[in-house]
Amino acid sequence: MDRAVQQTDYDAFSCKISAINKKYLPCQKELEFCEMKGFSELHMAYVHRLKSLNKRAFGKVQRAVQSGLPLMNYGTYLRTVAIDVECKSFLQNAASNSKVQVLNLGCGSDLRMIYFLEQYPHLRWIDLDFAESVSLKAKILRTEEQLKKVVGELRDASETEYVSDRYFLKSCNLNNIEKVLELLTEITDPEVPTLIITECVLCYMDLPKSQALIHKLISLYKSGTWISYDPIGGDDVNDKFGSIMQTNLRESRQLELPTLMVFNSTKKYAQRFEEVSKSTEIETMWQYYVRQVTQEEKNRLKSLQFLDEIEELQLIFSHYVLLKSSW
Amino acid sequence: MEIDNDVAMQDATEEPLDPTLDEDASTVAPGASKTPEGSNASGIADHRSSKPLQLDSGNIGQLDQWIEHLSQCQVLSEEDVGRLCKMAVDVLQFEENVQPVNVPVTICGDVHGQFHDLMELFKIGGPCPDTNYLFMGDYVDRGYYSVETVSYLVAMKVRYPKRITILRGNHESRQITQVYGFYDECLRKYGSANVWKMFTDLFDYFPITALVDNKVFCLHGGLSPMIETVDQVRELNRIQEVPHEGPMCDLLWSDPDDRGGWGISPRGAGFTFGQDISEQFNHTNDLSLIARAHQLVMEGYAWSHQQSVVTIFSAPNYCYRCGNQAAIMEFDENHNRQFLQYDPSMRPGEPTVSRKTPDYFL
Repeated sequence: MDRAVQQTDYDAFSCKISAINKKYLPCQKELEFCEMKGFSELHMAYVHRLKSLNKRAFGKVQRAVQSGLPLMNYGTYLRTVAIDVECKSFLQNAASNSKVQVLNLGCGSDLRMIYFLEQYPHLRWIDLDFAESVSLKAKILRTEEQLKKVVGELRDASETEYVSDRYFLKSCNLNNIEKVLELLTEITDPEVPTLIITECVLCYMDLPKSQALIHKLISLYKSGTWISYDPIGGDDVNDKFGSIMQTNLRESRQLELPTLMVFNSTKKYAQRFEEVSKSTEIETMWQYYVRQVTQEEKNRLKSLQFLDEIEELQLIFSHYVLLKSSW
Repeated sequence: MEIDNDVAMQDATEEPLDPTLDEDASTVAPGASKTPEGSNASGIADHRSSKPLQLDSGNIGQLDQWIEHLSQCQVLSEEDVGRLCKMAVDVLQFEENVQPVNVPVTICGDVHGQFHDLMELFKIGGPCPDTNYLFMGDYVDRGYYSVETVSYLVAMKVRYPKRITILRGNHESRQITQVYGFYDECLRKYGSANVWKMFTDLFDYFPITALVDNKVFCLHGGLSPMIETVDQVRELNRIQEVPHEGPMCDLLWSDPDDRGGWGISPRGAGFTFGQDISEQFNHTNDLSLIARAHQLVMEGYAWSHQQSVVTIFSAPNYCYRCGNQAAIMEFDENHNRQFLQYDPSMRPGEPTVSRKTPDYFL
C-alpha cells in the first residue's frame, strides 16, 4: 500500500512535466507574482537526472509527455498554480516576521522549494516523504548543480536525505504520527509562522491517521496556514465518480482512497479542519477555474491545445478541492 | 523499452511547440513517427468506383468473416483494413450530405472507442440488421478500442448499407485524433500510422447529417449561423478534412445553450445556439426535432429548447471514469420516441490486471 502511494509521486511529476512541455506552465502569475525564475529549465534539469537514476519514473514522464491530454494539462496547471500562489501569498504576508517555515508533506518530486528558498532568506523549508521518494530526490539534488546551488550545500553526509542550513528533505511515513512529531520538533520551531502543504496526500491516509496528522500539527504550531488539495467523491446520490475512482485505482494500482466517500463534499472536507482551525476556505477546482482564472488566461490555455469538451472538465474538476485553513 | 526523448524535452524549453504534435511516439513501434508524413494519402480512394458497391456472395462472405472477427474485439490485419476502407469509400461516396433515413430507426450518440459498451448497445437496442441504426459520430478517441469500434461499424455499414447509417463526428478528423488517442492507438496496434491514414481518409466520405422521415434532423454537433435550410447543407462540399470554421465545422461542433441567439462556444470551434434558433430552424424546415450527440449528459440523453433538441450520448461511464449512463433513442413508424438507458458492460475477457488506469490527478 505504501508503495502504491509512493508511486503516485511519479504521476503528479509526469503531469507537471507534460504541462510544462505544452506551455501551460509556468504561467504569468508564477513568473511575475510568484517570481519563479527558470521554471522550465530547473524542471528539465531534474528530468534529465531522473532519466539516469530511475528508468521507471522517467518512462512515466515520457508517456505523460507523449499523451499530453488537454484535460490532464488543465488540471495540473490549476493545482500547481493554485498552490504556488497560496504559497507565495503566505510567504509575502509573513515576510515582516523574520522567520517563516514551510512543511511540504508528501512532497515527492515537487520543486517548489527551489523558487521560494531563493526569494526568502529567512525561510526554512521541510520536505517530507517516503524513503524511496526522498532518496531519489536527494540524489538528484546532490548531483544537479543548478538545484544544489539554491537549496544550499549539504550539511551532513547522509546518502539518502538532504539537509542544508535552510532545506530539510527527510524520509518519514506520515502515518506514523509519533515519528512525524519527533522529527518536526527537532527541525522546526513551533513559534514560527508555518505553512503546511498536503497535495494529494490526505486522500491516501485512513481516517484516524489523517485526522491525527491535522489535529496534532495544528496544535503543534502557534500560527499557520494549511493548504490541501485532494479529490472528493461527490455527495449527490447519482454521482458515481468517487466510487468508480476508488474501484479503478484499487483494481489497476492497488491504490486505496479510504476517505474519498467520507469527506465527499467541500463542506465535509472543510469540516476536518474546522474543528481545530480558525478560518477555512474551500473551493472545487472547477470553481477555481471559473472564478480565479481570468478570461485572458483562459484564452491563452485554449490556444495551447484543442480542448474538445467542457462537460468532462467540469465533472472531473468538481471532484477536486483546494482548501486553505488558517489558525 | 527505453526511448530517448531528449528532443521533446529540449523542445519544451527552447521553442513553442506545435499545438498537437511535438515528439516521437515510437514507444512500441520502432521507427514509427509521431508526425504523420505530410499529406501522402493512404490510397484507399485512388480507384473509386463510379457506382455503389455491389454486394455478392464473395464480398458478403469476406465481410461476415471480418464482422465475426471484430465482434471478438480483435483487429483486422492492415491489408484487410485497406480492403474494407476501399469498399466503404464506394458505399459512402454515394450517400448524401443529408442522408435520408427511414423509420423505424434507433438513433445513437458518441461511442468513443468503448467497444464492449457498443456490444452492450446492440444487446439493448437489438442486433443489426434486425434493428436499423443511425450513429451520430465520434466512434474513435478516448476509449481503448477505437480501432475495433470503427472497424466494426464500418464493416457493418458496408455489409448492411441500408440498415445502418454512420455520420461523421468532430473526432472523425485527422487533427483531433492526433490529440485524443486514435492515432496513438493505431501506432500501438499496427506499428505504423497506415491504418490511421486509411480511416481518416475514409472519414472524409462520411455523411455529415441525416434526415429521418423528413422530420428529425440528425447530426453530431448542432446548427450553424451560416445554415438556415437543410438544402444549404446539401450544397456543401463535405469530402474534406473537418475545417476549423464555417458551416461544416459548425454542424460537427456546435452546442445548444440556454442563452438565446448565437454565442461563442467554450470549445475551440462551432457556436452555441439558443431556443429561438432551434425553433426557427425546425419551423423553416418543417422538422419536429433536432437529434444530436457531442455532449456528455449524465442520464445518456437530455432535452433542450423545450424538446426542439435532444442530446444522445451512448458511451456509458465515459472514459471509464465519468459515471454517466448511456442512452439510445428508438424512433418508430408513428414517430413515437423511446429512450433506452444502459450502464457499462462488464467488459468480459479483459483481464483486470492489464487494464490501463483512467487518468486521475494523483
